[in-house]
Amino acid sequence: MSYKVKLNIFEGPFDLLVYLIENAEMSIYDIRISEITEQYLAYIEEMKHQDVLVGTEFLVLAATLIDIKSRMLLPRRNPDGEMEEDPREELAARIAEYTKFKRLAAALEAQMDAASLKITKPTEDLQNYIGEPDVFLKMDMNEFILAFKAFLYKRKKNEELQAMRQDGAVPRVSIAAKKRSIRSLFAKAKKKILKFRAFLSKDGGRNDSVATFLSLLDLAKEGTVGVRQGGSYEEIEVELK
Amino acid sequence: MATEKTIKSAFESMMFVWGEPLDPKIAAEAFGIDKNEAKKYFEDLLQEYAEAQRGVRIREIAGKYQFVTAEENFDYIRAICTPIRNRRLSQAALEVLAIVAYKQPVTKNEIDNIRGIKSDRVLEGLLQKELIEVKGRSEAIGRPILYGTTEVFLSHFDLETIKQLPLIDDLEDSFNAEPPRSVDEMRQTTLAL
Repeated sequence: MSYKVKLNIFEGPFDLLVYLIENAEMSIYDIRISEITEQYLAYIEEMKHQDVLVGTEFLVLAATLIDIKSRMLLPRRNPDGEMEEDPREELAARIAEYTKFKRLAAALEAQMDAASLKITKPTEDLQNYIGEPDVFLKMDMNEFILAFKAFLYKRKKNEELQAMRQDGAVPRVSIAAKKRSIRSLFAKAKKKILKFRAFLSKDGGRNDSVATFLSLLDLAKEGTVGVRQGGSYEEIEVELK
Repeated sequence: MATEKTIKSAFESMMFVWGEPLDPKIAAEAFGIDKNEAKKYFEDLLQEYAEAQRGVRIREIAGKYQFVTAEENFDYIRAICTPIRNRRLSQAALEVLAIVAYKQPVTKNEIDNIRGIKSDRVLEGLLQKELIEVKGRSEAIGRPILYGTTEVFLSHFDLETIKQLPLIDDLEDSFNAEPPRSVDEMRQTTLAL
């Protein structure tokens, strides 16, 4: 006869045993030992089938069950002619003890759930009231003024940029046009070498500078001009080839 | 000389800032009053908050006092945020914790015997969560470590003292147990199966 046992997760051999006993609606003080032993062993077999690691604890209880079963089949009398005590007695006591704590565990869990409805708060962060005052209070006044000026400058620039965008006032400068103007500037100046600044148009702004720079790069690539710079941030010299 | 009113008022502020259970002994030092006097003021406050049914209450944990929200307001608190509820304990952890709580001080061996399985790792986890602690050593052979519950445990489970642990009704109720009969009779019924 085979048993179909759904593999629950059991916390240990007693957990399994209690489950089987409750399932069979037995009293722990009157366990039908052969029935339970069979089910217990079948369960362990099932665990092996499903590659669940069967702890030695499970095997120890299996041995205990088999031992009790055999003693039940062969009632013995002690030398005084009295019947031995019920071999199931000790097991029943252990199950009772285990079940008691299982129920206490459930009571604790309910208590924990109720407790979680009350919310506490952590200790206030007292960092601001302990020890050194904050760093910004110790800042040098000049540094502070400089930082503020930098902030004002940045804001002004931002506003200008914003205004330009809104007006659509940014003049579009095409690279091709700029290249033509560079060539004509060389022709007009009748010089072989000119400084970068010479090509910038007045009030052209950033866009013009960028266009000029890109045009020069393009011309240099074509081999029309050569460019050199003495050092970082120095004026770029452009030479017509 | 501080009046009762100013002392209580100060205690409220201290509890608010402290958050964790506040020891009346420490609070008493601020006024140079007796610890028991301070404890009486905390008790008064606890009563006052409870009677006025305020949304914030005071609770006692291991003789210390702490502000907590009223439990009936939990759903409303959830409307503004999702409070992180205490992380649930595994079934094994609850079993071991129950044995430690109700039988303390208790050795690992006693726990293992009741559960029929080794509890080392579960104990380790509970120690780490500070729900249990080492209470000393037993006089038995090998002087095994004795475990007991902590103040964190009390606060986690909202218990004033360990005496407030929930009780369960008599064990017999949980089984369809007939009164134990004579041994012979029991044997016969079993053999008949």
